[in-house]
Amino acid sequence: MFASIPLGWLQLKAQKLRLVAAIMGITFAVILIFVQLEFREALFVSAVRYHTAMDYDLAMLSPKTDFMVSSKQFPRSRLYQALGFDGVESATAVYMRLVSWRNPVDPSNARNILAIGFDPSEPGFERLLNAEQVEAIKIPDQVIFDRRGRDEYGPVRELLDAGQAVSAEINDRRVAIAGMYEVGTSFGLDGGVITSDLNFLRILPTRKRSAIDFGLVKLKPGQDAEEVQARIREAIPGDVRLLTRREFMDLEIQYWNKTTPIGYIFAFGAAMGLIVGLIIVYQILFADVQDHLKEYATLKAMGYTHGYLRNVVLQEAVILAVLGFLPGMGIAHLVFTKGSDATRLPLDMSVQSALGVFVLTVAMCAGSGMMALRKLRAVDPAEVF
Amino acid sequence: MDSGARIALEDVSHMYGKGALEKQVLFDIGTHIDGGEIVILTGPSGSGKTTLLTLIGALRSAQKGSVKVLGQELLNAGEKALIKVRRQIGYIFQAHNLLDSLTVHQNVQMALQLGGVTGRDAGDRIATVLQRVGLAEYEHKFPGELSGGQKQRAGIARALVNRPQIVLADEPTASLDKQSGRDVVELIQDLAREDGSAVILVTHDNRILDVADRILHLEDGRMKSLSEVVSEGTSRMLNLLEKHDPHSANYLAAFSFALARIAYADSEVTDSERDEMRRILHEVAKLEPAEVEFIMELSMMQKRARSGLDNRITNPVFDKDRAEHFLNSLYAIAQADGAVSSEELVEIEAIAAEFGLTQSGISASD
Repeated sequence: MFASIPLGWLQLKAQKLRLVAAIMGITFAVILIFVQLEFREALFVSAVRYHTAMDYDLAMLSPKTDFMVSSKQFPRSRLYQALGFDGVESATAVYMRLVSWRNPVDPSNARNILAIGFDPSEPGFERLLNAEQVEAIKIPDQVIFDRRGRDEYGPVRELLDAGQAVSAEINDRRVAIAGMYEVGTSFGLDGGVITSDLNFLRILPTRKRSAIDFGLVKLKPGQDAEEVQARIREAIPGDVRLLTRREFMDLEIQYWNKTTPIGYIFAFGAAMGLIVGLIIVYQILFADVQDHLKEYATLKAMGYTHGYLRNVVLQEAVILAVLGFLPGMGIAHLVFTKGSDATRLPLDMSVQSALGVFVLTVAMCAGSGMMALRKLRAVDPAEVF
Repeated sequence: MDSGARIALEDVSHMYGKGALEKQVLFDIGTHIDGGEIVILTGPSGSGKTTLLTLIGALRSAQKGSVKVLGQELLNAGEKALIKVRRQIGYIFQAHNLLDSLTVHQNVQMALQLGGVTGRDAGDRIATVLQRVGLAEYEHKFPGELSGGQKQRAGIARALVNRPQIVLADEPTASLDKQSGRDVVELIQDLAREDGSAVILVTHDNRILDVADRILHLEDGRMKSLSEVVSEGTSRMLNLLEKHDPHSANYLAAFSFALARIAYADSEVTDSERDEMRRILHEVAKLEPAEVEFIMELSMMQKRARSGLDNRITNPVFDKDRAEHFLNSLYAIAQADGAVSSEELVEIEAIAAEFGLTQSGISASD
């Protein structure tokens, strides 16, 4: 009780209404920042769902491909060329294309879905399909469906779980759904089906077997991916790109972040949240300093330094930051839980992002405090008499 | 107590504004104030008394002359030196200036923690000082819950908790009624006496002037003598009385003349006689207490001149300069109607003899 007086806190506490308004304002800003940053993060994580799920060490693709859903083709012979290099164990050709899916229950409703085809005798999809499903797609006109796709594709999941046979029309060809895998949606992708290369070509008869979208290169154990990549790059012409897993994912993320306005929009949203918070805190602190100018002048007349008063205002700023951040984080967490169900996007608050936003909040409040302090400079102790 | 003056001012001048707008508010002020002394600084608004107080209080640095406070020269002093001096001064503000979001206890503690006093020691000292100002039961109240007088007491507790060597008070009674004002001033007086502080009290509340050991009067930035101030104020008020209520003026004048006569008759007037005179004037002459005091003072002025005569051998009534001015002016007055008559000469010589003034070196006018 006799320790030095926490003047900043006592002054905040003395004006309860203003304190509540300030906390609500900061909470709002914190939610805004959290949601925007988290959506941005979710965008990146979801954009590379297939990149992460497929098994490969190096990915081959056309230099014209800038993101997965709109891939361009390249000669399959380039992939087989890669097979000839030391350290390469296998190479799997992958075909990919957005196709039209008709809702099995309501066929008038058509929607684009990503169709993926690969040679079931080659590796690369172990994490997506089990052995049974790999066998199943060898049978003509059978596909495996992403159970985490959007509901607009029809109640495929429910029907299959109930043990019923489901078939649907893809690009006007009827296929049977032989099972389900789990990946999920992203901003460019609502759902997917995986099948064999042969079935893929049945659905898309105009596509040539020799023109593939991606090549998945698997290396022998103990091989250095970058070293092999350099060797292959040197030997094959520049009409294909060969990327490591990291580079392949970065390419996709770069596309969504830089080439589309989406990444920018979320970053901008987060910045707006920060600015809104900055203005709110500044307003509150400025009004607070304004109200206490006479008291501050009195303290100066008693012999308190400018530094002491600065600490009082900064103390207020940090208290506001903490009090605003906690409910903001709680509400944002709630929003993510609900939003994750609704969008099937990977919305999840990591400790790291929570810490990041907290630092941002404190910086925002301290920054506003610094701006409000300029008023304090003008406090003349001689004015109190 | 240290031997040197707590506050020493020499030729202090101060200006506000720059260039063409420059305005001088203080002119060559000089005075010394010692510990235990209570000095009241008066003067009309705009006379510069607040400026002088802020200079002494190290709230602004002095521009010209010398302002020495507790041995520290404040002429062109930097912020650090000013802050050091401020911490050794107790301020009592006009509007109490308590921090609204702190309790009385915390407000006092704000001053105490400046002096580095914390812990149990601080708690004891706060309790003691609040006891002294009579606010022991209000320790944990907020300023908003106190009356004007109580707030001012809390302000005094805050100013005095560090036992400052100097106490500066700016209009401490301005927002208080007569009784609370009186109480507050007496409290400042008592506490300052106990601690041996030098006190400067700025006020234009005439009712509290009597607590002063010394009165400094400022007008238009210059120090004026008390005699000048009293003469000016009294003559102005007498003129007003003459103009607006000539009957009362005559009545009061008659009483003062008569009382002076009674005082002449009996050269020794004791305190009990005076009290008796006051009682009679109030009850028989139906005068208000203030009017009684006024008559007493007027008659005593004349009595004072007479009583000077009785010990004129050991204590001349005037010093040499004043004796000369006194007689010269009497002759000049006598000559004002054209010529000095012989009756006038005789009368002047009689007065001079009566006041024990020799005429050596003073040439009689012809």
